[in-house]
Amino acid sequence: MYEEPYRWVEAVGNRRQYLDEQFKQGSPVVGLTYEGGILLTTVSKGTPKLYEIYDRLALGGMGHPTDLEKLRFSLLEMAHVEGFNRSPSDVTGSRLVKYGIAPVIKQAFEEVYKAPFIVRILVAELGLKPEKDAFLTINYDGTFEETTGRAVLAATPAAQTKMMAYLKEHTTATLSLEQSLDLALRAWAIGSLAHQQEETDQQAETEPPTSRAGSSTAAIPKADVLMTHLRGIAGERVIECAVLDRQVPGTSKYRSLKPADLSRLLPKALQSLVAG
Amino acid sequence: MGMQGDFLQLLKEQGFTLGASTAVGTDHALTNATTILAFKYRDGVLVAGDRRATAGNMVMYDRTDKVLEIDPHSVMAIAGVPATAYEMVRVLEHSFKYYRRTQLQELSFDGKLRAVSKLLKDNVPAALAGTGAVVPVFAGYDVDQGSAKIYFYDILGAEFEGVEYAVSGSGSPTIRGILHYLNTWGDQPLSALPEEQAMVQALRLLTSAAEFDSATGGVNREASLYPVIKLITGAGVQTVPDATLKPLYESQVVRYV
Repeated sequence: MYEEPYRWVEAVGNRRQYLDEQFKQGSPVVGLTYEGGILLTTVSKGTPKLYEIYDRLALGGMGHPTDLEKLRFSLLEMAHVEGFNRSPSDVTGSRLVKYGIAPVIKQAFEEVYKAPFIVRILVAELGLKPEKDAFLTINYDGTFEETTGRAVLAATPAAQTKMMAYLKEHTTATLSLEQSLDLALRAWAIGSLAHQQEETDQQAETEPPTSRAGSSTAAIPKADVLMTHLRGIAGERVIECAVLDRQVPGTSKYRSLKPADLSRLLPKALQSLVAG
Repeated sequence: MGMQGDFLQLLKEQGFTLGASTAVGTDHALTNATTILAFKYRDGVLVAGDRRATAGNMVMYDRTDKVLEIDPHSVMAIAGVPATAYEMVRVLEHSFKYYRRTQLQELSFDGKLRAVSKLLKDNVPAALAGTGAVVPVFAGYDVDQGSAKIYFYDILGAEFEGVEYAVSGSGSPTIRGILHYLNTWGDQPLSALPEEQAMVQALRLLTSAAEFDSATGGVNREASLYPVIKLITGAGVQTVPDATLKPLYESQVVRYV
């Protein structure tokens, strides 16, 4: 029945709706450059969402764990085979994404008889020089975006925009790891609050539209509100942080921050959450 | 399959073969012309190798690095055909990283040893044809057990644990005896040597090997060419800089008659 173009467009539209729904419970992911490299952070429910891909590449994901695993494996395979056959410096995030997984994700999305990948992916790449640090984000339909300085994954474009704006506004020339972790977690809280807000807005859809418009353009919460929100949520979840650290000796620059590191680096209000 | 974190298998699926055997004339002198050694000292393992690469009786290169870091806790010293040896090191390096990144845990020390013998076994045809024999020494720090370990191999991939020390290459017969003597009747066993003394012994051993083996480079002070010495401890692999070796060599290895 999908042979008719209209049906196909309709099916793809349904797919979008279905997929958007899947991310509602998801936890945002924040990527941010700092003076020594790149920081990735999220608050996960148990299954890790941040991974090492190659010497200078890290991955953050939202969505279904199994789909994320599948794509993580194809990234790992491509990266290692390429790194072996050519050289590690030929393994770039942009090639892996543009010619590797983005087409696969797009194809799965458009083949309406098959299941799509329920994922949003962030690939962080540590350049040889700080100005070459880069981020790539890929949506469930295979569209990707390249950014520098910062990148986020969130459930909705609105939440994403809010997080990006907040990060941009609060980024000073150089951030220490501690400062960037603080900022990244606050941006995470903004995303998470925006998700909650959208949920309540949707439930209250019967109400007059004026109140809805009012709430979605609400002012950005203050830092202490964000911290309180984080404390509330992170208590029963895990604050996950990983860095691509330019200072790490050897070729592999990825390092996930252990509870001991976190208890030192986290903002004071959150330190008690980490079992040291 | 990739799900098992086996990089070599992944490469093979892509059509990779290690050291393809080709029929060669028997006259090719592709010997294990080098000297590499490893012994346990007080803080871990010391691995050292001279820097000469030869083809027959010609010196091809005097700055070869035959002691290669595979990951932060293991080192492979190579004797044999360099082309195959370097390829093996590259495969191992990628294999250990691939395993760690896919399986989200480090490959165990035994797993790493197994990977080395598997590569050597795959390489048997090339080794027997005379184009790809590699006789490595694999040394590392087993983080789980908190102990340093040394293994040596024959060209067919059999693995032997060198409890105190291991040697390989054309200069090795000379120093094998010295190591035995030192370890048995020296002032203290090798495993009790402090770091500096261990480095001095390594320099003396390689100098002795170079004395009797034309294919071993030894030390060339004029060109400030020192052997490669790496120390593996719980903290990881550390390459000893020439600046450290130079004074040790001049004060404790050169004989002023």
